[in-house]
Amino acid sequence: MLKVIDGGLRTTVQDMGRRGGQALGIPPSGAQDGFALRIANLLVGNPPGGPLVVRDDPGAAGLELTLGRLKLKALQDHVLALTGADTGATVDGEAVPCWTSFVLREGQTLACGLAQSGARAYLAVHGGIDVPLYRGSRATHVSGGFGGLEGRPLAKDDRLPVGAATAAVADLAGRRLRPDLVPSYAPPMQVRTVAGPEEHHFTADSVEAFYATAWKLNPKADRTGMRLIGPELSFRPGRPHYLIEDAGKDPSNIVIDPGAPVGTVQVPSGVEPIVLCVDSPSIGGYARIAVVITTDMARVGQVRPFEETRFVRISHEDAVAALAAQEATIADPDIII
Amino acid sequence: MIYDEPIFRTLGDTAINVEFGDESSIPINFRILALDFALREHPPKGLAETNPQVRTLGLVFNPLATTRARIVDHVKALIAAQGTVETLPSRRVIIPALYDDPWSRECAEAFGVRNNIEYIAEFNDMTVAQVIETHTGCDYWVTGVGFVPGAFMSYAMDPGKRFGAPLYRTPRTWTHARLLNFGGLTSTIYPIRIPGGGQLFGRTPIEIFDLREISPAFADGPVLACAGDRHRYESIGREEYDAIRADVEAGTYAYRVEDGTFDCAGYVAWLAEIGEPAERLDPESLWKPV
Repeated sequence: MLKVIDGGLRTTVQDMGRRGGQALGIPPSGAQDGFALRIANLLVGNPPGGPLVVRDDPGAAGLELTLGRLKLKALQDHVLALTGADTGATVDGEAVPCWTSFVLREGQTLACGLAQSGARAYLAVHGGIDVPLYRGSRATHVSGGFGGLEGRPLAKDDRLPVGAATAAVADLAGRRLRPDLVPSYAPPMQVRTVAGPEEHHFTADSVEAFYATAWKLNPKADRTGMRLIGPELSFRPGRPHYLIEDAGKDPSNIVIDPGAPVGTVQVPSGVEPIVLCVDSPSIGGYARIAVVITTDMARVGQVRPFEETRFVRISHEDAVAALAAQEATIADPDIII
Repeated sequence: MIYDEPIFRTLGDTAINVEFGDESSIPINFRILALDFALREHPPKGLAETNPQVRTLGLVFNPLATTRARIVDHVKALIAAQGTVETLPSRRVIIPALYDDPWSRECAEAFGVRNNIEYIAEFNDMTVAQVIETHTGCDYWVTGVGFVPGAFMSYAMDPGKRFGAPLYRTPRTWTHARLLNFGGLTSTIYPIRIPGGGQLFGRTPIEIFDLREISPAFADGPVLACAGDRHRYESIGREEYDAIRADVEAGTYAYRVEDGTFDCAGYVAWLAEIGEPAERLDPESLWKPV
């Protein structure tokens, strides 16, 4: 059991998300940076769960810290690991490294500060955060009010149940990720995409501009969508009249569509492309210029307000190869040393 | 328009949209829902989930268990075997609603616009009474469920009674739960308190999204609406609204949901009879589906 002393800016229980909810309007939710949460779970000996979006297995639940800050007190001995954004964490005032498992003894306090690089930090605990499963996952969806701890962010005096230990504390402490695999969150973030289903609705110049621009993250970005500040994009002329009747005059409006999956880049009115994220609506109605590949949604989750993102277009085959490579890395026992 | 052959659009590494056309219509939705049922009966290996919407079926697959090409081939074979959609399973759901309600008025006032039902009436050259009469005067076909948990899209099944109003130019930052609203020609209900731009005209006392899942209407999950449902609205007064609401909160309300089958081919024939075109075309358009 862990006791919350300070819940921070927005800390939620997350795993690798909920599958099968799209046709009900229920988003997948789960960690915005799935790679960081899965590594944190591996470091403390938990199941890491299946790949993001496909969600065959939600894995163990941990905490997602938005821009850092969290204070927890251990009510018994626990093995923890922090990954993702570096929050300069300390245990009773003594620094603990990122991407490395450590012991938090009964009565000790873990304090995470504000993230210095990257936007989200992840905390895993051996045994996993043991809140009830809702529709196959422990992921919190705040606006729907379900999953996680009572469907809401953590608050002072919450108690976080932890699943039963299956290994000795001494065997799990001090494990770290192979250093070459620790990601850098230094901007500009390179994010790979495949062409979107309505790329042909945009002018050739606008498609070129989309890939040439260093887009700044709008600070209103959240787990629903990341808005990007940059040049206005324009649409090809010749929109049919029946579409104007159906979906309005704005050329970015298309007839309702399954806007998912996570990663879709919509461009309402040609202004501020939005990367749909893990809590995004299951349908859309705006032209989609690109789709971020599953593997790189982890990087999108680490962009800080006003930091820059550059998109790089790759083929569908290369996107699948990137996912296969990531899954091979996660499955390789030698990445934890 | 409805395409000669559905277009398979790639969305990243894990999803495909099967697009039957670029317009919204109930006949195009019959084909989407029939394909969704066929996929549920004969799912290809590696298919993770489906998301049927008005003109498009969303598919999510695991590219490490199958390939995009295999999913496309499987779906093409199902479409080829399908032919005309004769019937679909379709429930009929009666939704009681208090029209021109105080909560819709409160939302309008909070965002400095006039009572939305009066705007809807003016926009359609109707009286408020005619808005209510028209909205309760025919069934609404649910083309898909989604957006936020429990939300759905529906269209009037009688083209003569199809009406609506444009969305707000700037969406509200909040809307009460369970408010009936129009977004263009789409009629829907906000399941939970969320931002939104729909024109508000009534409130239902029944839950559209209920995490308690205590009524048999929520046996399959927290969402009342199901793609292919026929919704029928019933105008009620404040006293009945309050009585139903108390029963809903107590968990004793009996939701009025009837299982059934809908004669899709008969409906398409009826549309032809009344002179409703099966699809919309624009010969002057430069726009070609790619």
